[in-house]
Amino acid sequence: MAASGDQRAFERLYRLHVARIHSLARRMVAGDGDPDELTQDIFVRAWERLGTYRGEAAFSTWLHRLAVNAILNWRRSEAGARGRIEEGADAELIAGRPPAGGEGLDLENAIAKLPPGARQVFVLHDVEGFKHEEIATMTGVTPGTSKAQLHRARMLLRAHLER
Amino acid sequence: MDAHLGEQLSALVDGEVSGESLDAAQAHLTACPECRAAYDALLRIKRHAGALDDRPPERDLWSSIAGRLAEDATVVPLAPRRRRLMFSIPQLAAAAVVLMSVSAGAALLVTHAGGRAASAVAVAPAASVQPMAGLASAKGVESYDTAIRDLEGAMTARRSTLDTATVRAVQQSLGIIDAAIRQAEAALAQDPNSMYLNTHLEHALGRKLEVLRRVTTMAAAS
Repeated sequence: MAASGDQRAFERLYRLHVARIHSLARRMVAGDGDPDELTQDIFVRAWERLGTYRGEAAFSTWLHRLAVNAILNWRRSEAGARGRIEEGADAELIAGRPPAGGEGLDLENAIAKLPPGARQVFVLHDVEGFKHEEIATMTGVTPGTSKAQLHRARMLLRAHLER
Repeated sequence: MDAHLGEQLSALVDGEVSGESLDAAQAHLTACPECRAAYDALLRIKRHAGALDDRPPERDLWSSIAGRLAEDATVVPLAPRRRRLMFSIPQLAAAAVVLMSVSAGAALLVTHAGGRAASAVAVAPAASVQPMAGLASAKGVESYDTAIRDLEGAMTARRSTLDTATVRAVQQSLGIIDAAIRQAEAALAQDPNSMYLNTHLEHALGRKLEVLRRVTTMAAAS
């Protein structure tokens, strides 16, 4: 078993879940960070914390929650280090041309261009299915702020995709 | 016309509006093509986002991860698991049948225990706008119409078994629903591709069907 230190078992878990975890990291960090590096960190952290997995929820749920927390922690430290101002990104999203490709690719690219705060809430709510109360707890904002960011993100995506 | 819905559009898309606010928002959406277009667009984005495919990384990350795991071979032993209840498919199916029987029985009891009280058939307002999978196709509406016609026939045949107050309450409820159906159909004639209007129409037809079903059940039981 992976929990008893079997790397081969853990590799099977990695193969099973890497697409979801990497997609989450890619969407959440967009161009601000390296999703490969974050994905590696998340699986190493999962390995280190396997002992805390109690089997009360599916492993995928436990791993996913761990991944979200790791990404949010990364974003907090990154934002603190850069002192970045998010507001300027609205204009960037609207000015950028929608890339050629399927509808899914268009949306993926548009999500990547959202301002970080709006992108974070959009991915957690509309892609990952978290509720505003959960997002508020995880990100340290109020549910009202989460709702406002979600609406802002959707409207920006609409403006981008309908041009 | 009232001010545009703004942020409330997202709340509507997420089914987070209810009561009088929902009634007001639905009335606005039916009358305002701009907000309706925005509602449809936001609903499409939400559905699309929820169906995005996950993609693995372009390069295999396992070798790097495995290297880091080797440096840290200490893993805390797994905590004792709590016992989890497991059910087989037949057990779950049997439970579902029991649940449905209990629900149906409870519904009959409620309608019957209230005697022929008019409140038994009062239509509860929709809790929220429930986005449906697709547009209300002509075939779908037709099947609603057929079911509604059948139930209306059954209700007329058993009308004498219902008391006057019940009949009046039923007619009042159906009148409100019919007005909503007519309003949705008129708006759809102008904007046939609106997801909101199609959903709204299906919802109203479903509510009418539910009222008729409850009335015919009540009439049959009396």
